[in-house]
Amino acid sequence: MAGRPANDQTLTVGRSPLGTFFANLSGSVFAIVMFFPVYWVLITAFKPQTEWSSFTPTFIPDQPTLDNFKSAFNAPNFQQSLVNGIMITVVAVLASLVIGFLAALAVARFRFYGRRAIILVVLAVQLVPFVALLIPIFLMLQRAELTGDSIIGVTLVYIVLLLPYTVWTLRGFIAGIPRELDEAAMIDGCTRAQVFWRIILPLTGPGLVATSVYGFIQAWNEFIIINTLNNPENQNLMAWLMQNQTSRGTYWGPLMAGAILTSIPVVIFFLAVQRNIATGLTAGAVKG
Amino acid sequence: MHAVDTPPTRATGAPAGPGGPGPQAPDAPRRKRRGPESSRLPWLLAAPALLLLAALLAYPMGRMVVLSFQNMQLRELWSGATPPWVGLDQYTKVLSDSAFWAVVGRTVLFTAVSVILTVLAGLMVALLMRRVHKAVRMAMIVAMMFVWALPALVQAQVFKMMTDSNVGVLNYMIDKLPGVEFQNHSWFFTPTQGWIVITACVLWAGIPFLAITLNAGLTQVPKELLEAATVDGANAWQSFRNITIPILKPLLVIVTTLSIIWNFGLFTQNWVMRDGKPEPEFQTLATYSYLQAFAQNKYSLGSAIAVITVLLLLGAMAVYIRQMFKIGEVD
Repeated sequence: MAGRPANDQTLTVGRSPLGTFFANLSGSVFAIVMFFPVYWVLITAFKPQTEWSSFTPTFIPDQPTLDNFKSAFNAPNFQQSLVNGIMITVVAVLASLVIGFLAALAVARFRFYGRRAIILVVLAVQLVPFVALLIPIFLMLQRAELTGDSIIGVTLVYIVLLLPYTVWTLRGFIAGIPRELDEAAMIDGCTRAQVFWRIILPLTGPGLVATSVYGFIQAWNEFIIINTLNNPENQNLMAWLMQNQTSRGTYWGPLMAGAILTSIPVVIFFLAVQRNIATGLTAGAVKG
Repeated sequence: MHAVDTPPTRATGAPAGPGGPGPQAPDAPRRKRRGPESSRLPWLLAAPALLLLAALLAYPMGRMVVLSFQNMQLRELWSGATPPWVGLDQYTKVLSDSAFWAVVGRTVLFTAVSVILTVLAGLMVALLMRRVHKAVRMAMIVAMMFVWALPALVQAQVFKMMTDSNVGVLNYMIDKLPGVEFQNHSWFFTPTQGWIVITACVLWAGIPFLAITLNAGLTQVPKELLEAATVDGANAWQSFRNITIPILKPLLVIVTTLSIIWNFGLFTQNWVMRDGKPEPEFQTLATYSYLQAFAQNKYSLGSAIAVITVLLLLGAMAVYIRQMFKIGEVD
């Protein structure tokens, strides 16, 4: 992957110079084609209306402007959605982290009857399509009056959404800490609680960061559930973005500015932990 | 967090009781280290997680099945009365509806086409990444990372914008071709073209995960083995077929299964590109069941469709679940 010394990866034996040339050419074309839509989001957001609404596009904005960002920021419900999005995401991530960490600790550090069942449950529930469960969840939370103007219901749902992944990845991180460390500390007089605070918690630090960042991305990007459970005035930023598209579909400049404002946190976080995400998703392929 | 906060025990490492507010567990004071520990502490630690999963996953799952045998509509939603039991009526209604079968066929076809395309493209890109100069490889990785990082909603919106009939850059580029008139061409006027756009978006969004994961898998293929094969006279295809593919196979199975699960549940892309109200020919099982429930308030009918969807998916999941049982065993 990205971090390795790159020379190692290039095969040299039996490669013709012409083949290498074509490989480099198609690699470059691929990179450009892949990046083009991303580029298009970026520049559309800086184009004045005359440029983004014309059939003949400008590939570099003639008169770059920040007006689209201003209009997105001042659009109805943007600020409320921003506050909601941050609150829901932060609470959901922290709660799933604490709850998931305890469960991961149980599964990784104790041998007990029912342990394997817990692991299987955690793995299996990740496969349930959440949209399918939305109907009963909606009916439940509706009865409990946690929907509409309340963001409690959707936060609870997000906690559960993040929980299986959190337990599973943290389990891997905790299992990676040698048990001998715990035992040595206990021989030196540590209690179980001290082992937890002084050894397991600090050593799981990077894992906690990676897991919470992934959770942040998941919760931040969700818009279907919150759109179903909550009133139009009480959405998160992603659902706000979707609403804006439907209500003023062709205002591409402001919409793309909104898309950038909405995406910035996740793109930054994602790029920071991308390596862990790739390994986390294929955790089923190799023993974690 | 204080579930493990217990008063100091002896330095023999005897496990602490469940702790917390409750009394110390009445464990025998002398026990072997790492012996069968009090099985209450781990259950206590896992309890909050299990309770949440039970309340917001297991219970709704059961409720979904129950709902599919009832007839829940808006009236019951407001009054809170138990909806009337209708037995298998919802299922017969769904299964005898030709619109439903059209949606199933479309979803399956889309899944097959998009998964094959994404896995093949991902594999080709992964292989290409090993042949190019490291600067080119870096450019490929950076481009893919940005695509991968974008929220699915934004990914779909960009494609909607680029294929817009009035201001879409795609129409402009095609229009530039000599003799082609593409101004104001509507990509979603016919289902085939619309689905080409949706599939292209899913392909574009899916390649990064596959290519980067498979490229990581390719580094597991010993370079010496490939070089030895070349020296022995194997051509590129032979060494790919007989060395690379067998080593890559477990990873390929997992990424293909994941792609099937993801693409079968297609919701965001067709939802966004059709402005939150997909026409019948742009429905997938996920949007269909969702709209039956939430746009038409036929909660039971929607539940029946959801149950059928999960059953259909079970086939694809079987591979994955078997893998999980293996993990559960070694662990």
